[in-house]
Parts: sequence; structure tokens; C-alpha cells
Amino acid sequence: MLEYRNVSLSVSGEEIIKKANVTFKNGKLTAIIGPNGCGKTTLVQALNGVSKVTGGEILLEGQDYLALKPKERARNLSFLPQVHNVIPSISVKTLVSHGRFPYLGFSRSMGSEDRKIVNEAMGKAEVADLSGKGVDTLSGGIRQRAFIAMQLAQNCGFLVADEPTTYLDIPSQRKILDIYSALRDEGKGAILVLHDIAKALEIADEVIVMKDRQIIKTGSPEEIINSGVINEVFGVSVKRLKDENDGKDYLVVL
Amino acid sequence: MDNKTNTINKNVLYIIFLLILLAVVFTLSLAFGSVAVSPVKVVKALFTPEAGAASNAIIRTIRLPRVVAGLLAGAGLSVAGVILQGVMNNALASPNTIGVGSGAGFFVMLSIMLFPKKVFLQPVFAFAGALVATLLIFAIAYFADASRITIILAGITVSSFLTAGINLLKTLDTDISLNINSFLMGSLSGVSFGDIKLPAMGIAVGLIFAIIMARPLNMLGLGDEVAGSLGMRVGINRFLLLAISSFLAGCVVSYAGLLSFAGLIVPHICRKIFGNDARLLIPCSALLGGSFVMLCDVLSRVIFSPYEIPTGIIMSFIGGPFFMYLVIRKKGGRRLHA
Repeated sequence: MLEYRNVSLSVSGEEIIKKANVTFKNGKLTAIIGPNGCGKTTLVQALNGVSKVTGGEILLEGQDYLALKPKERARNLSFLPQVHNVIPSISVKTLVSHGRFPYLGFSRSMGSEDRKIVNEAMGKAEVADLSGKGVDTLSGGIRQRAFIAMQLAQNCGFLVADEPTTYLDIPSQRKILDIYSALRDEGKGAILVLHDIAKALEIADEVIVMKDRQIIKTGSPEEIINSGVINEVFGVSVKRLKDENDGKDYLVVL
Repeated sequence: MDNKTNTINKNVLYIIFLLILLAVVFTLSLAFGSVAVSPVKVVKALFTPEAGAASNAIIRTIRLPRVVAGLLAGAGLSVAGVILQGVMNNALASPNTIGVGSGAGFFVMLSIMLFPKKVFLQPVFAFAGALVATLLIFAIAYFADASRITIILAGITVSSFLTAGINLLKTLDTDISLNINSFLMGSLSGVSFGDIKLPAMGIAVGLIFAIIMARPLNMLGLGDEVAGSLGMRVGINRFLLLAISSFLAGCVVSYAGLLSFAGLIVPHICRKIFGNDARLLIPCSALLGGSFVMLCDVLSRVIFSPYEIPTGIIMSFIGGPFFMYLVIRKKGGRRLHA
């Protein structure tokens, strides 16, 4: 369990978020949604040290998360920033192997266990066939999966990704969300900042809705839909439509 | 698994090839000069110090220190260049283009003027000067969030400022015990084992640390936030890398003067051939850089024999056009980081 208790956050000296309280559970996929500039990124960036915690505390399984050393932190929680203005021209395999950095000693060389984990991570993110390709030669969706493989190689109980699907085409988005859903099914805690409201409500176990630098509501997708908060925050409504052919429910944003 | 074995084999082959190249150039460098000695004799002289022929004396006491000095200068400058390019994420960065060389040179001049007897201070001063120039440029790049071209312009400015300082010192102290022209051009002429003992140890240590820091250097290439998220202390690692780079460049300048371009062109050639993974790039640049400077030095001794020209001139004749080629081609070419 990862808990924010009265956490205040500032970026470049400006306080952005005041006294936020939120809980992320293991084995659950939590989606954070909200309009641009509402503080979603700032909220999660407390976890990789980019936004500065000016008040309150963050607890990981009851321990003080902020007191962890950087490498210890990166062994417990992996964070994929909303990349990637810097695209490295190194091979996919080298990129993914960076995910093992928090486990390496002074010599920084990988053992056979590390290599095994790197290969597994590339397999899960479906980039194993491209391990020798340059990251800078890949298309956006595949490149994002290479970064996700790097995150998987960190082998953490919690995974955070800030807008992992933004700018990607629909099939790529789907594939990436499938990867995180599968990790949730393995018992990991996944925390995703998402833009696509319908997708977030469809795949998440818990949804956090933010507006104007505040957490407006948290709850299951069902609770969020029924509460009308989506309309209040985004000015759109969400309808559940049944497909008569396969009998499944689909969420539609109107 | 096949894929991995192939990559490793390929990398091992690269290194073996570069080692062979280094050995060949090393032997030839000892063989050529105002008196030519056959390569066979060179090898004999190296392994049997007692043999008393005159050629042995030439090789062991005159040519060997010089060739070793060239090897280390090339290795040190090239690796310094690789690190600077990686840390600044700028393909045009090198000890020369950002004024590190002249920073070290200026401080070496100061050391020679203020403490002429204390030769051991020269590498220390060179390191200090190199670090000052590096941090100055880095501060400009970091705090002003300057573009690549601004960084290079700032580097040229700092470089010319410090070169003016060197010239000023030269004008003020006409007795200075230094062949200033050779120093400014970069030269390995007349280097003895005594001159290079300290810097050589420094370069060896610097190269080992550079190899250890290859992974953090790669990770800096992912951008600060990604590197930080992976548990790396970005600030301290960046500083350490810049310090290693300055240390290497400073050690070289302390005995070889402002040897130009090796630190720029060797990393570039290596990036083209071996890719951008610092774990391979650093050893390859060290080996190729060593060969390159030894080769330039032997040319500088042979071309106008019996006259000798500063090694730096040869290097600039090769490096200058190459640099122009890079600048012109940059947009269409393969970039260091997009």
C-alpha cells in the first residue's frame, strides 16, 4: 500500500498541491484523470523526487517512502516519466538493462539473474525481437514499449507511468494498457496518469479525479460514473451502452 | 540468447582489432624517426633492455617515452571528449571546443611562472584549470538552458579568453622556461619519462573511473527525470563525470600542451563505428585515440625530417576539415541524441 497523508507539493518553489490524501493499493490499477494543468503530474512526481514534498508524509507499506535512498526507492517503485524529449540512440537491450541500475553494485556490471530479468521484461513488453535495434529508430508506440520494458526490469511492487499512451495510435495505446493490466493481475500496484476518460474508467480498479490542483473524488469507476463528477470536471458525460451483438457494456464519452 | 552472444562477440572483435592496431602503430612509432630502426629491432629492444646497440638507446630513452606520452594523450583526450559529449548531450562538445584545453593551459602557465621548480604541480594546476572551464561552460548550458550552438559559442569565447590569458602571461614573462609555440600547438617533442610519470598515472586512473562510470553516462543520455527515476543521483554523477573528463584533459595538457581535435574527432569516428553505448565507446575511443595521436606524432617527425613540427599541427590539418565536415553534415547525419 502506498499512502499520501496530507502531502503538500511544490515545483520550482511554487506550491501546487495542498494536503493531498490518497491511497494506492497493491494488485490494483489506479488511474488519475483530470484536465490539463490540474496537477496530475505534480501529484505523482512526488514519487520520483521531481516535485518537492513540503508537508505531510508518504508511506510505502507503512515505511517512510521519502526517507528511502534513491536506489532503494527505485527497487520498490518504478516511475516512467512522461517522456521523451531525449531519445537515446542506444539499443533496446541497453535501454532495458538500465532498469537494473538500482540493483547493481559499484562495478555496475550485470549478473546472469539481471540478464534473465531484462530478457523477461523485453518479452512482456513485446520488444524482445527488437533488442538489437536502436531506440531512436523505433516508432512511437514501440519505443514507448521499450521504455516500459526498462520499467519492468526494475521489478518493483508499484509501477507509475505518467501519460504512457499520449500521442500514440489506438492499437499502441491498447497494447500498453494491456501490459499494465497484466501486471495488476500479477499483484502489482499500477498507477497511471491517463487522458482518455473512457479508457481509464474501463480498465481501472480505482479512479482519482483531479481538478484545479485538488483531488475531487476517488472511487471505483462505477462510483465515479454514478456520481456525475465527470460532467462537473470535464463538462462531458459518460454513458454505458450495451452492444446487442456481444452483450458487453461499453463506455462512451458524450 | 543468440543475439546477445553475437553482440558480445562483435564487441570483443572490435576491441581485439583496436588492440592490434594500437600495437602496430606503437611499434611503427618506435621504428620511424630521424634514424629508422627496423620493427624487428624495435621489438627486440623493448624486450631485451641489456642489448647495447645505439638504436636501443634511441628507442628506450628517446622514442619510448614520447610514444607512450602520445598513446596516453590520445586515450585521455578521446575519453574526455566522449564524456563531455554525453554529459552535455552535445555532439560538438570536446575538451577543445568548450575551452577546457585552454583553461588547463592557462593554469599550467601560471604554475610554471609561479612555481617553476615544482613540476609536480603542473598536472594539479592543469586539472584545476580544466575543471574551472568545464564547470563554467556547464553552468552556462545548465542554468541558461542554452542551445547546443550557444554552448559551443560560449566555449569558443571562454577558449579565446583563456588563450589571450596564456599570451598575456607569455608577454609578461619572457624568461619562461617553456617553448610556448609548441605548447600552444600541442607537442610531444622532448618528453621524458620524468615529465609524464605523474600525468600518466593520472590518466590511467581516470580511464579506469571512466569505464566504471560508463553506465551512469549512458543513463544521463535518457534525460534527468528518467535517470533520476531509475535511482541515479543525477547531480553528483554528472559532476563526477565532468571531473573525470577535466582530470583526463588536464593531465594531457600538463605535458603535451593544447593538442587539438583528438578529443573531438576520435569520439565521433567511434560513435559512427561502434554506436553510442558508453560501455563500448569509452574503451574503443581510448584505444583508437591512442593510435591516432601516436600516428600524428610519427607523421610530425617524419614528414619534414630531419625537421620536426608540433604534433598538434598535423592533428589540426586532419581534424580541421573533419570538424567542418561534421558541422556541415550535422543536420542530415546521425545525431548523438535527437
